[in-house]
Amino acid sequence: MKERKIAPYVYIFPTLLLIIIFVYIPIIQNFYFSFFKMSSYSTVKTFVGFSNYKNIFADEIFYTAVINNTLYAVISLIFQVGIGLCLAMLLESRFVAPKLRTFFRSIYFMPSVISITVVALIFQFVYTPDIGILNGFLKAIGMGKYSHAWLGETKTAIFSIIAMSQWQYVGYIMMLFIVAIQKIPEDIYEAADIDGATGLQKALFITIPQVKEMTLVTSVITVIGAFKVFSEVYVMTSGGPGNSSQVLSTYLYRSAFINDEMGYASAIGVIIFIITITLSFIQIKISKSGQV
Amino acid sequence: MNKKKHYTVSKILINIFLFFLVIIVLYPLYWTIINSLKTNNELFISPFSLPHKLIFKNYISAWNLGLSQYFLNSIYVSFISIAITVFLGALCAYGLSRFDIKAKNLIFMVVLGGLMLSPEVALVSLYKILQTLHLYNTRWAMIIPYIAFKLPFSVFLMRSYFISFPKDMEEAATIDGCNTFQVFYKIVVPISLPIFASTAIMDAIFVWNEFLFALVFVESKAITTIPVGLMAFRDALNTDWTVLLAGITIATLPMAILFLCMQKYFVKGLTSGAVKG
Amino acid sequence: MKRKGLMTIVLAACITMTSVFSGCSSKTADTSKDNGKITIKFLHRWPMEPNKSFLDKVVADYEKANPNIKIDMQSVANDSYKEKIKVILGTADAPDVFFSWSGEFMYKFVRENKLYDLTTALNQDGWKDTLMESQLKPFTLDNKTYGTPYSVDGKVFFYNTKIFKDNGLEVPKTWDEFIKVCDTLKSKGITPIAYGNQAPWASAHYIGTLNQKVVAEDVRTKDYNAATGEFTDSGYVEALKKYQQLIPYFNANSNAIKHDQARMNWANGKAAMIYCETQEVGEVQKLQGKDFQWGMFKFPDITDGKGDQSKLTGAPEGFVISANTKHPKEAIAFLKYLTGKEVGLKEVKEIGILNGMKGIYDTTNADAKVIEAANLINSAKDIVYWLDTDLNTKLVNVYLSETQLLTSGETTPEKMMQKIQQTAKVVKNETK
Repeated sequence: MKERKIAPYVYIFPTLLLIIIFVYIPIIQNFYFSFFKMSSYSTVKTFVGFSNYKNIFADEIFYTAVINNTLYAVISLIFQVGIGLCLAMLLESRFVAPKLRTFFRSIYFMPSVISITVVALIFQFVYTPDIGILNGFLKAIGMGKYSHAWLGETKTAIFSIIAMSQWQYVGYIMMLFIVAIQKIPEDIYEAADIDGATGLQKALFITIPQVKEMTLVTSVITVIGAFKVFSEVYVMTSGGPGNSSQVLSTYLYRSAFINDEMGYASAIGVIIFIITITLSFIQIKISKSGQV
Repeated sequence: MNKKKHYTVSKILINIFLFFLVIIVLYPLYWTIINSLKTNNELFISPFSLPHKLIFKNYISAWNLGLSQYFLNSIYVSFISIAITVFLGALCAYGLSRFDIKAKNLIFMVVLGGLMLSPEVALVSLYKILQTLHLYNTRWAMIIPYIAFKLPFSVFLMRSYFISFPKDMEEAATIDGCNTFQVFYKIVVPISLPIFASTAIMDAIFVWNEFLFALVFVESKAITTIPVGLMAFRDALNTDWTVLLAGITIATLPMAILFLCMQKYFVKGLTSGAVKG
Repeated sequence: MKRKGLMTIVLAACITMTSVFSGCSSKTADTSKDNGKITIKFLHRWPMEPNKSFLDKVVADYEKANPNIKIDMQSVANDSYKEKIKVILGTADAPDVFFSWSGEFMYKFVRENKLYDLTTALNQDGWKDTLMESQLKPFTLDNKTYGTPYSVDGKVFFYNTKIFKDNGLEVPKTWDEFIKVCDTLKSKGITPIAYGNQAPWASAHYIGTLNQKVVAEDVRTKDYNAATGEFTDSGYVEALKKYQQLIPYFNANSNAIKHDQARMNWANGKAAMIYCETQEVGEVQKLQGKDFQWGMFKFPDITDGKGDQSKLTGAPEGFVISANTKHPKEAIAFLKYLTGKEVGLKEVKEIGILNGMKGIYDTTNADAKVIEAANLINSAKDIVYWLDTDLNTKLVNVYLSETQLLTSGETTPEKMMQKIQQTAKVVKNETK
């Protein structure tokens, strides 16, 4: 009898302990650190109140980072969610033979299981000016004058990185939509067929509304992901050239470990926190509404 | 008649388009592989043609230059993180779904809350905490944060699963005199193998590819994992690009193969979690 | 029976937690003294050839000669080293002996009491007298020395002598002559200067040299000092304008290419000149073999510049010891070996690098190119340290990222100096 009372706590305890020590406490500490000036190799901590935040809002690199994250989010929405949905609909339609479906699905999904570092390194070769794939392709189709040093120019760097992310994740989102589409009951389509609906009409008026929830969920995770992005940018450009491809996470890293401004970095962390937690709340609300 | 022709034309166009996409996906990978088999000079002269001679030496160099160590480290770290995460997560999910504790919902919210907290925000503090615990620059510096950050999702997945099946067998076992742990491993675990597999796979994708913590919390090359190791690899090779390409190919293979073999579980993990990764 | 079950659970939980925490402390336990061997942790910045194998052998030889010492060696590549070292020094895991650039880079660690004071050790057994004083000065702050030089370095132009001969060109001595040479090359369709600034320290070397030649010495010294820096002298804008003059002569896409790649292109004959460090001699020879015809010349004099034209940009690189080392005696012994005569002679012969010892090279052990480099360095009246290791980190960041923009034509010298001046103000306030 006594066991029944204590046992559940024993089961839960290790997990709870780990999460509190290594997730919650660091986040709370991060808030605390954001009010200080600290460096990575000294133990001195100076209280500076809100000045880190004041400096952030006056820092043009910060705004560049926020704009880049936003660009990331918007473009990812269009490609990953938009094109992901279209691809899912195409693959589930009668235009594609069932045998081919698995083939296409696997191929499109594969990039998402490859390590980000690997993808970033491969794409460095895609974008390299002299022997890179992209410039080579442009030359081959006679559009050589559009060649660029994709990662070396301030105007193209961040977009090149964003493009790489789309290559990697469109298939992933597409897969989610496929699963959602497969859950749509056949009868609705049959009824539409009887009414003489065309493929396009069925897509617009049945499929899309039916996967509304999945659309919302994928949109939210795409946007959250866009604000958390780190490795892609770090590996490909470290935020350069100039500071044109900085995003919030890379700027946090740079402030903490290159500029030795750990307090400033913590403040950036707080801002990332506020953005992502708001988005997470939205996501939880949405998934909860559709769950049993 | 028209409708049928319309259909066929659309079908052809769509399939062409889809195959074109396949090329876009596969070409960079193909390019990587063919160039990994060339000499550096050949790469610079003709990057788009098939190799003259297959230079397998590049792969051996890559492996010896440290890739083997990175591989072992990734496997070690991944295996231990996943094992502990699934174990603790299952225990916690079991505790939360099978017992009537007053604080049940509160605790679940706390655990779930971990999902919304992103690693980047914890970076600076975790760095300091790990140093204080003397864990900095050890494998545990990666393993413990990985476990802590993946537990919420794992608990969530497994709890949903546990809730969904009836308690009859467990209640029978309890009446027979089993304690809670015996009930757990004799009855619950065998039924839950599929969800364990899916959880493990979702974990694997995260842990195998994790970059930020591996970059900041670990210094020594002896314990570096693949994602960070590849970067050091790139720097050490300067302009020896064909060896780098060979290294990249080696690093990609395990996940690609795992994926092709276990597609079913990947998809299951995706859908049952409703993508909260 | 129920009790047993509960105990099992509690036990399992405890084991998990204990193994988690103790397993790790055993991994970081003081392994510096097992089986009577003393372990010295050693960190350097050359995971690539030819330095990597060289140091591997140097360390192996030392371990053989000193069987009670084990050297735990790690390396981090140049670009990441600058970040990593700061992080490592903040932990209890700092290496005993590690690489450092001289000048401000090292001084900031001294100010935080992270480095071991070598002054006493240097004064013993005449160690100090074997080293060149000019190369020890950059490792000295407030009359205390904290490091010893492993490689002496200066920045010069490497040039392809065949291209020059074929086009009737002579080594330029002044800026105007230099520009003329570049013009001639460009008109013949030859890329005058190879340049890779993706890792932006490459530009720091150009700007540093231009600053020292254009701006008056005393003004520049005052400005480079964090406590008094203002950067309001018009010479700085002039220096940037001179840099802009060079841009049309660089290869295309310089912001997308790394310095190593640029050097490879130059060694393959794709460009006529490249601004390099003398310690790169060994690497060029590895790339192209001894049949490649090339030479060196100093950065041309700027005749209307107010700075000292005879000084050379460059600074020794060397090794320092952590203030928290548990084995200072052994660490010093290893350092002495690493930067001493035995290793120095091998350095010159095998990888073409000169260390800080007096009289370490002559025609018997040094390659002609190495001697050429050594002579260039010795003929300079004094050295001026690298811009990116001599200034406060904040200023360096602005200089580096802005120069990348300047190179692509996205900012102007005036705008750039405005940003520098603003940052200098912030740095000055912090240094109080």
